[in-house]
Amino acid sequence: MDSSNDEALDIIITNVVATFRTRCHLNLRTIALEGTNVIYKPEVGKVLMKLRKPMITASIWSSGKIICTGATSEDEAKLGARRLARCLQKLGFKVRFSAFKVVNVLAVCSMPFAVNLINFTKNNRPIASYEPELHPAATYRIKNLKATIQVFSTGSLTVTGPNVQNVATAVEQVYPLLFECQKPRCK
Amino acid sequence: MSAAGMRCPTCGSTNIVDDDLYSQAQLVCVDCGSVVSEGVLANDPVGGSDVSFSRTTAVAKRPCTNLIKGQQRVKAICRILMVNREIEDLSQTYYKMAYEHKAFLKVSLQKKEILTGCCVLLSCRQLNWPITVGTISCLLDADSMAVGAIYQEMVKNLSIEAPIINVTDVIEAHCHEYKISSLDVPEELAENSRDLTKRAVALVELAADSWIVTGRKPIPIMMAATYLAWQSLKPNKHRLKFSLDKFCQVAKVKKLKSAMKRVAEIKEVLCKLGKEIPWVRETVTPDNVIQLVECILQNRYALLRRAMRTHEDALLEESQASCAEAPPEGTASSQISECADQTPITSFVKQNGSNSDGKEKPGDVDYNPRVLPEHSDTRESQNPPPNWGKRVLFAPPCVINAKKRRAVQPEHTDVTGDEEISDSEIDSYIRTPQEARDFALMQQMLSLSDSAKS
Repeated sequence: MDSSNDEALDIIITNVVATFRTRCHLNLRTIALEGTNVIYKPEVGKVLMKLRKPMITASIWSSGKIICTGATSEDEAKLGARRLARCLQKLGFKVRFSAFKVVNVLAVCSMPFAVNLINFTKNNRPIASYEPELHPAATYRIKNLKATIQVFSTGSLTVTGPNVQNVATAVEQVYPLLFECQKPRCK
Repeated sequence: MSAAGMRCPTCGSTNIVDDDLYSQAQLVCVDCGSVVSEGVLANDPVGGSDVSFSRTTAVAKRPCTNLIKGQQRVKAICRILMVNREIEDLSQTYYKMAYEHKAFLKVSLQKKEILTGCCVLLSCRQLNWPITVGTISCLLDADSMAVGAIYQEMVKNLSIEAPIINVTDVIEAHCHEYKISSLDVPEELAENSRDLTKRAVALVELAADSWIVTGRKPIPIMMAATYLAWQSLKPNKHRLKFSLDKFCQVAKVKKLKSAMKRVAEIKEVLCKLGKEIPWVRETVTPDNVIQLVECILQNRYALLRRAMRTHEDALLEESQASCAEAPPEGTASSQISECADQTPITSFVKQNGSNSDGKEKPGDVDYNPRVLPEHSDTRESQNPPPNWGKRVLFAPPCVINAKKRRAVQPEHTDVTGDEEISDSEIDSYIRTPQEARDFALMQQMLSLSDSAKS
């Protein structure tokens, strides 16, 4: 963080999305029959399985590709994915846990000041865009980090990026830009 | 082949003449009439001609019909909005550029229609003519989200920068839409458009200062401001009884749901300021504040200052009272300066010039939401620091009524990805064979009863 500021910003990770493969075909009907906490969606061709311990929802396709959502950290996502793979193993499938990748991380953060969005957008065009009639936040896309930050006028931020490190870097990058466009909160 | 030197194979005579049958060249014997030889019917080269079909039938390349139609639509929209010539020409240029851009060449016709409106919107913004996305989507009869999405795509693809419009710019155009002049409505309801605009602009500026405008759609705010401006220009009983619905009916404008909420919010702000007027004796409520609107707007900055000061004083008293309750952990003065620390009256004080006693200058204080000084830990360790919405006079509703965030479970921070997973944990996710059989049976029964019903 900025050396002149002796405060730390809380970046709270609210969702981590990860994918992995089981390298074997999965029979969705068997899973739906013998697993608890599963929802079978035959029209889409997938099974939704919810784990309790890391609160995770997994979409399981018969090709063996699985997407896990709902974790609050990368490690938790990995743990949940492995748990899921073990579960499928016990159900009788020849599962090999492979190609685990965190695909998306969503975090929220709150600035200690309010932001004047119009000035912020003016100073940072075309990276920032703001359409008040469509969405109340200004969108700032950092291309090299592949991160998108939505800045609200109250100073709250919503950041999405491919991993936690990128998200943290994105917040660090955008902080000075927001600081110079701050709005006094008392008015 | 010449006729000379040939003998007819039938009769042997040498009297052979060229006697073409229509377009076929034929050599015929005069004496017996037999055809000695004949040419080909057509003179096409073998294997097709050298010149291709499309080249022989080619005409000069004309612009695509949809492009022409689109450009006419652009012109029509510009005429309806009565923009000036420059904007019309610029929109035509943009439309041509966008239409031929590869991102838009193959989109559906509906999107191309929306593109016409977006081009007009873009040129209006660049040449400082305030119109809203709402107006364009009305004209195109399309969803404003769709218009917005295509507008953003277009701006990105053509790499053009357009300024954002401010609500105060648009409000004049918005007020003109209201048919409330003396030509359209009876005299008692009529209002001069200029007065109405002026009053509405002042109301919108006040709303902008008190956090009502940020993050909200502009049109309901403008509608609320126009309605309140109209009421306050002649605050007699008749006008005050008019609801927003009726007003919109009379002015022939479509009412928006959220405009009611904005009216309530603006009235609340007006009440807060109305309380500070020194000569008003009775309590100011949303019902009787309309009569005071003119006065409030004329003196709004002074009233804002007074309201802020009253609020500060009230907060100071409150925190002094609670400071006195807590066990003294330091000198009294340090306690008070701490309490002052909690109310971040920053650049407003700077703006005021008159520095209230004991408050620190904005540059020195770093606002520390999490790092609470140790003295107050005993007092506030139970409740988290109150959000800034509760402490300041004006704050956006989303901060005042903040949602309680679910407390993060601490156990989650100890997770690494590679822990051991015990069998018993996994078994909780798998049905026992008996349960599986029951489940299958139940499903069968359900499907039978479904098929019996249908």
